[in-house]
Amino acid sequence: MELDSDPMESSRRVQARFVTKLQPPLRVPPVSIAVPSNLTRIGLSAVVNNLLKAGNSDWEPQPFDFLIDGELVRMSLEEFLLTKGISAEKILEIEYIKAVAPRKQEEPCLHDDWVSAVSGSNPRFILTGCYDSFGRIWKAGGLCSHILEGHSGAITSVSTIGPKGDDSVTDLRIATASKDHTLRLWKFDAGQRVLDHPMKIRAFKILQGHKSSIQSVAAQPSGDMVCSGSWDCTINLWQTNESDTEGDLVSVKKRKMGSEAEESQLQGEAVSTLVGHTQCVSSVVWPEHVTIYSASWDHSIRRWDVETGKDSLDMFCGKVLNCLDVGGESSALIAAGGSDPILRIWDPRKPGTLAPVFQFSSHTSWITSCKWHKKSWFHLLSASYDGKVMLWDLRTAWPLAVIDSHKDKVLCADWWKSDSVISGGADSKLCISSGISIE
Amino acid sequence: MKVPRKSQVAVEIATAAVMEEKKKKTESSKSPLATETVSKEEKEAQEPEKISNPIEELSENGNLEKEPRVKGNEASEDEDFAGTSGNDDEHRVYSQEDQDEGAEAHLGVEESDSSEDEVAPRNTIGDVPLKWYEDEEHIGYDITGKKIKKQARKDKLDSFLAGADDSKNWRKVYDEYNDEEVELTKEETRLIRRLLKGKTPHAEIDPYAPYVDWFVWEDARHPLSNAPEPKRRFIPSKWESKKVVQYVRAIRKGLIKFDKPKEEPRFYLLWGDDSSSKEKSGQGLSYIPAPKPKFAGHEESYNPSIEYIPTQEEINSYQLMYEEDRPKFIPKRFESLRSVPAYENALKESFDRCLDLYLCPRARKKRINIDPESLKPKLPSRKDLRPYPVTCYLEYIGHKDTVLSISIDVSGQWMASGSTDGTVRIWEVETGRCLRIWDVGIAVQHVAWNPLPELHILAVAVEHDVLLFNTGLGNEEEQEKIKELLHVETPTAPESSGNGTSIVSWIQHDKHEGIMLKHLKTVSSVEWHRKGDYFSTVVPGDDSRAILIHQLSKKLTQKIPFKLHGLPVSSAFHPSRSIFFISTKKNVRVYDLLKQKLIKKLETGVREVSSIAIHPAGDNVIVGSKEGKLCWFDMDLSSQPYRVLKCHPKDITNVAFHRSYPLFATCSDDCTAYVFHGMVYSDLNQNPLIVPLEILRGHRSANGRGVMDCKFHPKQPWLFTAGADSVIKLYCH
Repeated sequence: MELDSDPMESSRRVQARFVTKLQPPLRVPPVSIAVPSNLTRIGLSAVVNNLLKAGNSDWEPQPFDFLIDGELVRMSLEEFLLTKGISAEKILEIEYIKAVAPRKQEEPCLHDDWVSAVSGSNPRFILTGCYDSFGRIWKAGGLCSHILEGHSGAITSVSTIGPKGDDSVTDLRIATASKDHTLRLWKFDAGQRVLDHPMKIRAFKILQGHKSSIQSVAAQPSGDMVCSGSWDCTINLWQTNESDTEGDLVSVKKRKMGSEAEESQLQGEAVSTLVGHTQCVSSVVWPEHVTIYSASWDHSIRRWDVETGKDSLDMFCGKVLNCLDVGGESSALIAAGGSDPILRIWDPRKPGTLAPVFQFSSHTSWITSCKWHKKSWFHLLSASYDGKVMLWDLRTAWPLAVIDSHKDKVLCADWWKSDSVISGGADSKLCISSGISIE
Repeated sequence: MKVPRKSQVAVEIATAAVMEEKKKKTESSKSPLATETVSKEEKEAQEPEKISNPIEELSENGNLEKEPRVKGNEASEDEDFAGTSGNDDEHRVYSQEDQDEGAEAHLGVEESDSSEDEVAPRNTIGDVPLKWYEDEEHIGYDITGKKIKKQARKDKLDSFLAGADDSKNWRKVYDEYNDEEVELTKEETRLIRRLLKGKTPHAEIDPYAPYVDWFVWEDARHPLSNAPEPKRRFIPSKWESKKVVQYVRAIRKGLIKFDKPKEEPRFYLLWGDDSSSKEKSGQGLSYIPAPKPKFAGHEESYNPSIEYIPTQEEINSYQLMYEEDRPKFIPKRFESLRSVPAYENALKESFDRCLDLYLCPRARKKRINIDPESLKPKLPSRKDLRPYPVTCYLEYIGHKDTVLSISIDVSGQWMASGSTDGTVRIWEVETGRCLRIWDVGIAVQHVAWNPLPELHILAVAVEHDVLLFNTGLGNEEEQEKIKELLHVETPTAPESSGNGTSIVSWIQHDKHEGIMLKHLKTVSSVEWHRKGDYFSTVVPGDDSRAILIHQLSKKLTQKIPFKLHGLPVSSAFHPSRSIFFISTKKNVRVYDLLKQKLIKKLETGVREVSSIAIHPAGDNVIVGSKEGKLCWFDMDLSSQPYRVLKCHPKDITNVAFHRSYPLFATCSDDCTAYVFHGMVYSDLNQNPLIVPLEILRGHRSANGRGVMDCKFHPKQPWLFTAGADSVIKLYCH
């Protein structure tokens, strides 16, 4: 080590070759070049942009993210190599991917009250639930096309029912859960032209049976059933069919004030109840046909077998849990957040340990929502009471992006169209951050 | 010599000894260089002798005629070995032997350093165990480097034949070391024989030589040495040591015992004053050495030499010195002892000194060196006592003034709060959303949620009234039941008649759909019974109507049938039994409601009690006081506090126990809340374990008040604190 008499000389150089899995216009020639070792992500991005510009004169610079040995570079190259113990002597292979960060913040959709639930599982619309007891359907561009009217309490959770990935179906069904102890199923035509004012629709089925507020609802992938977790410590399973074939279904005439005619509403009762949690079931997900995952305030995550009604996995994690999602590598990783600022990810396939495989702790308050990206194995988002939505990559411990558009607590968040993040919060806004490129 | 075999063995041992001696001699002759040269010469000179047979040698020496006799002697010896000869023969033989030895005596002296001394060992392996060469065919190497071969071993038949053939064979001894047979000479056999008899090996030594007295017995005028006998000449007695060993063995075996059990005196003083004897046998006055004074010098004499007396100049110079450097004593001269000034009082002074000695109370001051760390109680680590509330994540903001009281719904989903801004609010615990607001207009003193999960009724103490609100939660059936409960048909009339005096009137509250209980004085707190039907109100006052118990289902009010001693502060129902706690400013009284009598009086010893909480198991009570002290009572132990914790610098406003976790908390006007671990064991022998865990800060002071109320979440290890800064905070683990 010499005294750094000359700053230019003191910065060491590393032989690096940039590789990528991106498509040809984004590829740089696979030659190794010497880059200063004190470059950070921005510096590396500039290098790659320059290389691209050399090949294509009208290239517009765009940010990239860099992976070395499957880990994202989040410090200067030199520090990274030192901490990872990678030799700087040989040629370093740096893989670059498009940087995952929202490029555009769209106009927020204003609600009358806190936005408590949001679902972006259908790319054609956004479904939100609100504390004013209405559910809303938003089309792109901040247009509210439908208002779901009927609950008498705040909506806590929404979910779209139907075969996944089948976007062509226009007749869509929706489930909403509310604090009025009921679930309601709704039907609407997504292909309908948007009118000037939102169309009010009514539930076609009311599911009653919970003794307390319902916290969460999730639909079976096939769409035949929904499950719901409630404050009465149970998970109920419900049929979603609209036919009157079941004997115990009672058709109730409900009088509706106003112009609308009388309409028949079905009432449904729970098909079965999964009992085991000792406190409020705060979140349920139904990723496979016969498997339900649930998170509860009794500090446990359970996996239920729908056919037997037994829990096949019971993970104790020490904290109150508010949200849960299953995804990631072969849809097996469990992400959950709760009454502390740490987003934890478990791998239930790992034998003999209940320790989380990843812990992300950049939030400063309770985590209210976490969702895996539907296509990527690495990306997930989390929303917290500290008003921030964070995007995470499993390959680094730092958040990829922090969306700080809410003024108050963020109560819910989801991915939409696989390149946008939608989030609703206590400032009665639905924020849409788009332009996230996850390949 | 009776048993021939034995004697054979003895002979062999003896011959071995002789061999040894030979070897030694050769070695000793070898070792010094000077003698070696001499011995070499001798060797050359005596070489022929060595070759010659000892018997021939004898004959050469001119004792030919002796040979047959010797032979005969040998024969007799053979007989002797066979054990046939009698004692007389023996004597004869010995005498003969002695004779020839005597004859040979001078010859033997000459021979002592001769032939056999020069025989170098054939073996060159050195002083190593022969076993190592057992399997080898050689025993070392000679000077030219050739192997020294072993001789073929004779088998038994050969040796027997040899014995039969050669009459001298018995004299042959096999030298294992050199691997050769050595034939003992006559002298050697003679030596052996003498040794066997216990005589000196050489005949020339006369054991009974006349005693020559070398010492001069006459007294010498000048002895050669007057020095005392040196210690090295002392020879320890063998017999004494043997005796000692004997004793030691006896002691070990237990034959000799030292500490015999003391014989108790058969007779003792039956009426002896044992107290006085104890005092005598005790340590008594312990000796305390007086500090050593400096010895008196010459200058302190009443008449010191002139050189000790300071001159006037020196005395003057003392005045210029610092006070501490100045000599304390200046020598002076007196004519006589009588002119010393102290003489006058000498007698009295010595008397006073004696009095001092006599009257001075002397006691040894005991100083104990204790590490202050060791005095601290051993408490478990805080890490092991998790979970407990640590960090504030949620705030419930909305009140405009000091929040005086909070209460959490049994399910843990809702929280109610009452504030001095005249509103009662219901909050959603999970999100911090305010669900409902009742504006009652006057400062709300106390709120309490009904403990039954299906009865969503809130009791609110507002100045003179207690309001029972329907919170509107729960499903329709529950709502119907609540509405039925909260309905009073004919207000006031039946109450006044039923109770004689109208203590409280039950009135339907129309504005907020509830019941209003009108008291005569300000109500400070409302507490529900665990079954949700009864509730008690505290109306601070010194009369019998200070504490009332109401029944919701029958809309009845009754006084407690006990006399209160002092101003009541707070009341509480036992969590499982029909026991009622009333705390006045000084004490806590525990009543049995069924038997209608006082069970216990807990003496807090604090100036003013502010709050009380009952452990969910019911046997422990914590009491917070206005001077910041917390008293933990274990009701099984005593009426005195088990522990008093002085933790807060200001008033404790409230105390709370957790329902399921071993936690309790105090909150105070110093804007902090303390969380403690309070483990109560079901084992009655084990005292409760109290460990301070965490100080929760975050509230700001307003109007000199800090945290007004603290309540635990019923299921989670979370603590809610209500502050004078109008914020409610939730601390999570």
